Amino acid sequence: MPTWKSSRSGSRETSEAIDLAAAGWVARCDRGELTSSEQAQLDAWAAQDTRHAGAFARAMAVNIAFTGDYPAQPGALSQTQAPAISRRQMLAAAAGVGALAVTGISGYGLWQRLDRETTAKGHMRLIPLADGSTATLNTDSAISIAYDEHLRRITLHQGEALFDVAKDATRPFLVDAGGVTVRAVGTSFAVKWTAQSAIGVIMREGTVDVVRHADGSRVRMVADTVLDAVPGDRLVVRSITAGAVQSALAWKDGQIDLNRMTIAQAANEFSRYSDRKIAIDGPGIADLRITGLYPANDPDGFAEAVALALGLNARKTADGVVLQRR
Amino acid sequence: MTLATQDRASWMARQILPFEPALRSWLRRKMIANIDIDDIIQESYAILAGLDRVDHIRNAKSYLFEVAKSIIRQELRRSSVVHLRDIVELDPANLAETTPCPESVAVARDELRRTEAVIKTLPAKCREAFTLRKIQGFSQRETAQLMAISEKTVEKHIGKALLTLMTTIGRGKNINRDTLEEIDADLEIEPLRLAGNQRGY
Repeated sequence: MPTWKSSRSGSRETSEAIDLAAAGWVARCDRGELTSSEQAQLDAWAAQDTRHAGAFARAMAVNIAFTGDYPAQPGALSQTQAPAISRRQMLAAAAGVGALAVTGISGYGLWQRLDRETTAKGHMRLIPLADGSTATLNTDSAISIAYDEHLRRITLHQGEALFDVAKDATRPFLVDAGGVTVRAVGTSFAVKWTAQSAIGVIMREGTVDVVRHADGSRVRMVADTVLDAVPGDRLVVRSITAGAVQSALAWKDGQIDLNRMTIAQAANEFSRYSDRKIAIDGPGIADLRITGLYPANDPDGFAEAVALALGLNARKTADGVVLQRR
Repeated sequence: MTLATQDRASWMARQILPFEPALRSWLRRKMIANIDIDDIIQESYAILAGLDRVDHIRNAKSYLFEVAKSIIRQELRRSSVVHLRDIVELDPANLAETTPCPESVAVARDELRRTEAVIKTLPAKCREAFTLRKIQGFSQRETAQLMAISEKTVEKHIGKALLTLMTTIGRGKNINRDTLEEIDADLEIEPLRLAGNQRGY
């Protein structure tokens, strides 16, 4: 039953105090399922006063209204009502229709643009981002970009990308890759996630924090360090020389820097950039080591150089080149 | 009392919440003695949460207004202080002005989304937690990991952001600074700065 101002006692609970409690309960529900004792507390609280139950319902509605998507209910809509397009669908649509739609909604602040950028095998591309940062995509890579006014958010779906991040202390720069998030403010680092490797981060400048979602483990990385996030292992940051960082990022200039790499590893590396395969025919060849800087898109040239250096024979085939003893 | 289900809350988010400002503004214009607008709003949501079904409701705005009026009528009947004007105003014959035109559903939702701008006025950590959880869709646990804070703190940030949105939608009375300072003390963060361009509905 409503209790009204005219009949209220001095200790009557204010609607604001009720809203505070309701917001707290809904935030708790938003975290995950309630324990049975919490559920009992919530039930008891809601039963105390009609206004409690009402404030809780309202807080839930607010929570849903300002969440990315709420489930569409096409059957419940009359023809005079606009379809309940979820916000995510709207975002996807806005990104597609371009500047007009984006301008129309950007005033509300939290709307984000979603863009996807990819490179084909053997290609490399520098992508300027809206805030002055750049993303350089290595071969066979895909990222999506979601900027809003509070966060700069990149997802690396596959491959490798170097990020030169413009400083903006109010808007963290996040890169997600396979359950790991790298968080930076202004810095330069590369993230790698390929079929052949675990997720790797290479730091060129500045500082980032890396979080692995699976276990919540977290490490801080500074310039000239690398991290290989091998599932199940601890996250370990290793120091490397500035030269080694340059070498690891040689792909930026279209090159592969082989530093005492085995022929097998080198063949694997070249396979990221080209469909022309380097095959190995004969015992002992795979473990031979090679050093040098080679154009990433020329596996045949590499094979010929290796053959010359190591006294092997490079035989061209329809889909690649075979290294064998002379 | 019936706790709102997720489905019912979704329906309210789409069909009711966008019209709450209109109801508040109508209630303010009526200036009915001895009623508190926030009470009426909370009671209305309680009734809507407790309905067996809502799929028969074709015009959610008029339904919301009817629910609010029924609460007021009920109270006026019980109250000893009733002004003739109140009774006349609440007569169904005088309801024409409240019948919404169909286009207003989309407009009202659009208006509601503008409320989101208030998130900008929240302290950075609270804003980041809200953005990660609500806009980017991380769970509270993931948000806690990303921000290197406890889940409990994320929950408090979300609660604070929700309260701020709830209060902003009901803007007409000012948000109580003591309430927010209480949460801030709990979170040990800077106090909420309210935007200068607050507007009532």
